[in-house]
Amino acid sequence: MVSRRSRPVDYHEALRDIARSLVRLKRPERLLKMITRFLDKELGLSHAAILVLDPQKSRYTIFDSKGIRKLPRGLLRFDPDHPLIRWFQSKNKDKDVHLLPGYVSQNRIRALLRDSHLMKSHPEVGKRLADLQRALQDLRAEVAIPGHVKDALVGVLLLGKKLNHRLFTQTELHFFQTLVHDAAIAVKTSEFNQRLIERNLELESKKRELEERLQEIERLRKKEQETYYQIMKSLAQEVHAKDPYTFGHIRQVEQLGIMAAKELGLDLSGKKHDILSASLLLHDVGKIGIPDNILKKPGSLDSEEWKVMRTHVEKGVKILEPLSDFKEVAEIIRCHHEFYDGTGYPRGLKGDEIPIEARIVSVVDAFHAIVSTRCYREGRPMEAAFQELQRCAGTQFDPKVVQAFVRAVKKKRQKEHKEG
Amino acid sequence: MKGEEKMIRLLVVDDEPEICDFLKSFFEERDFEVQTALSGGEALKAVESFHPQIALLDIKMGDVDGLTVLKKVKEKHPKLKVIMVTALETTEKIEEAMRLGADNYITKPLSLEYLENDVREKIANLAANS
Repeated sequence: MVSRRSRPVDYHEALRDIARSLVRLKRPERLLKMITRFLDKELGLSHAAILVLDPQKSRYTIFDSKGIRKLPRGLLRFDPDHPLIRWFQSKNKDKDVHLLPGYVSQNRIRALLRDSHLMKSHPEVGKRLADLQRALQDLRAEVAIPGHVKDALVGVLLLGKKLNHRLFTQTELHFFQTLVHDAAIAVKTSEFNQRLIERNLELESKKRELEERLQEIERLRKKEQETYYQIMKSLAQEVHAKDPYTFGHIRQVEQLGIMAAKELGLDLSGKKHDILSASLLLHDVGKIGIPDNILKKPGSLDSEEWKVMRTHVEKGVKILEPLSDFKEVAEIIRCHHEFYDGTGYPRGLKGDEIPIEARIVSVVDAFHAIVSTRCYREGRPMEAAFQELQRCAGTQFDPKVVQAFVRAVKKKRQKEHKEG
Repeated sequence: MKGEEKMIRLLVVDDEPEICDFLKSFFEERDFEVQTALSGGEALKAVESFHPQIALLDIKMGDVDGLTVLKKVKEKHPKLKVIMVTALETTEKIEEAMRLGADNYITKPLSLEYLENDVREKIANLAANS
């Protein structure tokens, strides 16, 4: 497998290619194989091999080897006390390491071993160099280049002799060092990435599990709320059945309220529509707790009876409390007997302190009461109801709401008239 | 002392030519006389013709199982030192090998230093017992 190239290897071009691949390849295994293949093919070596660290076992093994004298894979391991590994790992600890450049080569070792002055003054260095030389020979390596990342030895590139018996040039050795350095970073990064990916996958699946459980809880909660809301509605109807109005059904109260809100130009997007609608439907739900003898009493109530009657507001709030989706509804219901001038109950709020929805409920409720036949009197005509609302605008009711409500009802009547 | 010893004959048995080749040059560098065998059959022949004092025997091979080779070899040449080389760390196979008379076992990937020391130790035993 002598180099088939007639022209010399363009190292800059090769480096650029490999650097590009480094970016592209998420799996450094392929990159390392590419490197051994490239070196074997393009340089015409007896072999090229890469040792990499097995991080779990803190030892190095042959990851890949190519060439006519390639090293067997799977056979060997290199522990930290192997002469080559020891040499490269003792980067800053031993001064004799500085006798060699970053890489080690048989050539340089031979030259140092021939330096009789050095051998005499530092016999222990001679021993270490001899061990290193023998280790390189065992691995058929002419040159060994370490790949460090932040002082940690990630791997070693071993290169056999050139088949044409020429020595490696300085340009080539510099190229190998750059290559090994980049590859070491790629390996380290991918290891790090791999760990990150694994960790993320683990977290992802936990998160998914959690989300599923939350969704299930949310689904159950929604279902519960829905059931509760349904119960509320039937309760509200029950209340109205106990206190029967001649003027239609509770649904009409809701319709009138929504119409008034639209006339006012209120924002009814999203949940807001449901909140107002629920408030209109459920404002008197607390009356379920008022004894029939008061609720259905013909004629007017005395002050004690009024006291009891007024508790329907707080009772309604209590009933609605478990309905967490309708916190605003409970608050509106709490305020639907407040007067615009501050003389209402239970808290004596006034003006804008009272939620607009509650001000609407208050007007619709009053209108409904006036036009309905109650157990204590006959229903009155709509015109009379309008007059009553306008009379109380500014004291009991918000004048804007009264005006909008009257307009809305009149529009509705005209429309019905035309259609009818 | 070392230099005066006769060359030790070592047989390497492995079905991977690269492994045979590698271990051959490794031990030849250390003044061993080395032959290699790529199969159990070859190994049995080599034992008769080459008369090795020590063998490195791969436990798992194509034709004849390493354990079978071990059994046959030890029956005929109980003095031959055999070190089993195995990638499998399954205790049953190792126990079986030791029961059949293997002198030691070593698992792949192996440390060359450890292998060399072990081989030298077995040879020292051989010399002491003869």
